[in-house]
Amino acid sequence: MSKPQSETEAKRQSKQEDQRKDLDREQVPDRAVGLTIMCLAIVFVAVWMALQSPQQIDSEKTGFSSPAQAAITGFLANAWFLPDEPLLGFVQIPAGPFIMGSNPALDRLAYENERWSSNRRQGTVQIDDFYIGLFEVTAAQFRVFIAEHPDLANEVPAEIQGDMPITNVTWPEALAYARWLQQKLENSSDTPEELRSYLAAGGQVSIPSEAEWEKAARGADGRIFPWGNTPSAASANYGSSAMLPVGSRPCAECAFGLQDMSGNVWEITRSPLQAYPYDPNDDAENLSEDALWVMRGGSFSDGVGNVRAAVRGGVDPSVRNNSIGFRVVISKP
Amino acid sequence: MAISASFKNSIRNSKNSADKQTRASMAAFKFPLVMSISLILLSFVPRVQGNFALVWSFWGAAATLLLWQAYLIVNSKNKNEEHVFSVVLRPQHYIQAMVQFSVYAYWGYYWRPVYDHAWLMLAQLLFAYTFDMLLAWSRRREYNLGFGPFPIIFSINLFLWFRDDWFYMQFVMIAVGFMGKEYVRWNRDGRSSHIFNPSAFALGLFSLVLIATNTTGLTWGQDIASTLTLAPNIYTFLFLVGLIVMYHFSITLVASMAAITLFGVSALYSASTGVPYFLDSEIPAAVFLGLHLLITDPSTSPRTPLGKTFFGLLYGLGVFGLYTLLGAMGEPTFYDKLLVVPLLNLSVIAIDRAVRSIHSTALLNVWKESWLGGRANLAHMSIWIVIFASMSFLGKTDNKHQGDSLPFWEQACASDLSNACGRMLQLEATYCADNAAWACNEIGAHYREGMITASNQELSMAYFSRGCELKFQAACLNLLDTELVAREVPHELDLRLLLREGGQNLMTLSEQELVERACEHDWVFACENNGA
Repeated sequence: MSKPQSETEAKRQSKQEDQRKDLDREQVPDRAVGLTIMCLAIVFVAVWMALQSPQQIDSEKTGFSSPAQAAITGFLANAWFLPDEPLLGFVQIPAGPFIMGSNPALDRLAYENERWSSNRRQGTVQIDDFYIGLFEVTAAQFRVFIAEHPDLANEVPAEIQGDMPITNVTWPEALAYARWLQQKLENSSDTPEELRSYLAAGGQVSIPSEAEWEKAARGADGRIFPWGNTPSAASANYGSSAMLPVGSRPCAECAFGLQDMSGNVWEITRSPLQAYPYDPNDDAENLSEDALWVMRGGSFSDGVGNVRAAVRGGVDPSVRNNSIGFRVVISKP
Repeated sequence: MAISASFKNSIRNSKNSADKQTRASMAAFKFPLVMSISLILLSFVPRVQGNFALVWSFWGAAATLLLWQAYLIVNSKNKNEEHVFSVVLRPQHYIQAMVQFSVYAYWGYYWRPVYDHAWLMLAQLLFAYTFDMLLAWSRRREYNLGFGPFPIIFSINLFLWFRDDWFYMQFVMIAVGFMGKEYVRWNRDGRSSHIFNPSAFALGLFSLVLIATNTTGLTWGQDIASTLTLAPNIYTFLFLVGLIVMYHFSITLVASMAAITLFGVSALYSASTGVPYFLDSEIPAAVFLGLHLLITDPSTSPRTPLGKTFFGLLYGLGVFGLYTLLGAMGEPTFYDKLLVVPLLNLSVIAIDRAVRSIHSTALLNVWKESWLGGRANLAHMSIWIVIFASMSFLGKTDNKHQGDSLPFWEQACASDLSNACGRMLQLEATYCADNAAWACNEIGAHYREGMITASNQELSMAYFSRGCELKFQAACLNLLDTELVAREVPHELDLRLLLREGGQNLMTLSEQELVERACEHDWVFACENNGA
């Protein structure tokens, strides 16, 4: 301060200075002790903060730390909890055409967005062969992925476990799981030869396009439901109060033997929601619109109208919902 | 000037009786006891109760203080020691505190987390008073009760505060600040004085630890540094409140020289490279705040006018250099203004000595004490006012800054101007963190292409994921096809974030105004739309 200090203040400061000098002379309590305590406090802070690595912070928040999970009947704990099936639960869908969209004359529950065009009710789409998961991706499968990506751990509800379908997963996270699974399958010597060859030939693990999904769900004959043309509560979990473990409503008569294509949880696809006719080549044409992706199959809480094979829902890519999950495919782009 | 009203007489009068002395000493302990209990009571306010770690931080701090008091009480009974305090109100404390409070009030009006932080600041004040008092008594010193802890706590919180889950570190930081003041001392001009500005010492040390342990995320440091500009005309506001401090404490030479140096070197850099040095301003608002309220502690800065001038000059150069150094190390650059202060504090004696060794009267009288009839500080302030007014007139303070325009950086990057691509990536990352989907997609594209930065597929996927979750279709397509680089112009919501120029998001601006503003920022698509 530039202003002159008052006499009182000067005296006070001088006295305090004397006090301090006396203290330092007396060495009681020792200044070195104080300095040591301060240095120890700083070292403690440094060590403690070094322990607060981002990964630890995440796992502490979520309580999810170990990939170890209990064995689940019908699934291979040593193969990322994929189904204990010859092709790890992948089912081949042969190449060929199928009928896409709805014919309101046959399907009175059809929605307008299932119509092919202004002058056609349905279309025929040709797709190459591909593989699709027998079941929806389960919580156990997704948790193996999370164990390697702990930053996602706090996003998935802890109560979804085991062979329940994984839900509350965003569209990018579903894709990230698919990419991760591809790496695992490519790098594992236990991957079935058929899948290994398909991957080596350019096959990619992803979520299905809506055409792939619909063909897998209704076969080539254009049936309304995966099992036929009439509703069957015994073949799918819909109109109920809760989702069930995958495959809880066995459906041998369903197209390609796939389970839960109708009901249980909605399944997101890699196709943007846009008007038919379906053409994967126009997916990148409308970039100025907000992203909205097709989801298929309806969920446990939906009525019969929404579990038809042709029904098309839309989902924002950031949405987490307890009735939306996904299934993976291996297909060639 | 200090106003002293001593409460200790009643205590002193009883010195003859050891019994009475002990009682008197015990009476003095009521103050820290009430403070500690108040700290516990504060832990029951809803703001604190909302977080378990926060509650425990309060209880832990209070328990430490209570244990310390208990030890001192037992010790003073055994040794018949007397602990006293007297009230000493110093203007450099309460004026500084009032100025800092006004900054909180203004800034918090535009960034609400500041107001939400008020309870936690009160807790820190309670802790600081008690800690400081117990520390003085542990050293068998009389405690001067005044507003001393206010500027220390306010100053620390203007730059760094820990998130709720790690709030106990805030108490440790305060403790380290006070211990630094008490224990890290030197002999200056024949008197023992603390070397470091207490708040700057704590901030500097903790900044080092946060950088070394890569744990900046545990604090609000980055948010604090970037949200000051949410308050409109913050530079003018800081300048005006800074004048109050300058008027009372003759820190004009320090603050103004630091500002002038930064303006100067920033302008030199810009002239030689074609791009601004700082991203969003000529001097970041937090640095401008720091040079008014962090480096201006009279007891830890030089005493001669020329020394103060050097001190300010070195602060400006230090911030300038550290900004580059931290950026090059990939560390958050907001630490620049914090790390340099303790180093400057250490150089104070050397600066004073260097100035005294100058035998040139002409040089020593560069800032003549005789100006304005001996009121040199007013003359210095007048010069600073003229300089700041000129800077404002030239649009170098609160106005739109060239570095705010992404098209400018795109152009500069394409022209391969100095570090422009790195700055563009930095700016895009900032906007992506603000939820501008376009920016996420752009930065993801850069990392996928590997043309202006090293290719990093993992990072690109992370940015595309974020862009996609923000509904940017191009980012989703980039996620689907790892060979693709889809791009799209910013959507309306992106523009509301990208064009904010460091201020509030433009949520209420009409679409037409938004397009016009985008065109002013040289977005070609916006100019075309505007023309159409």
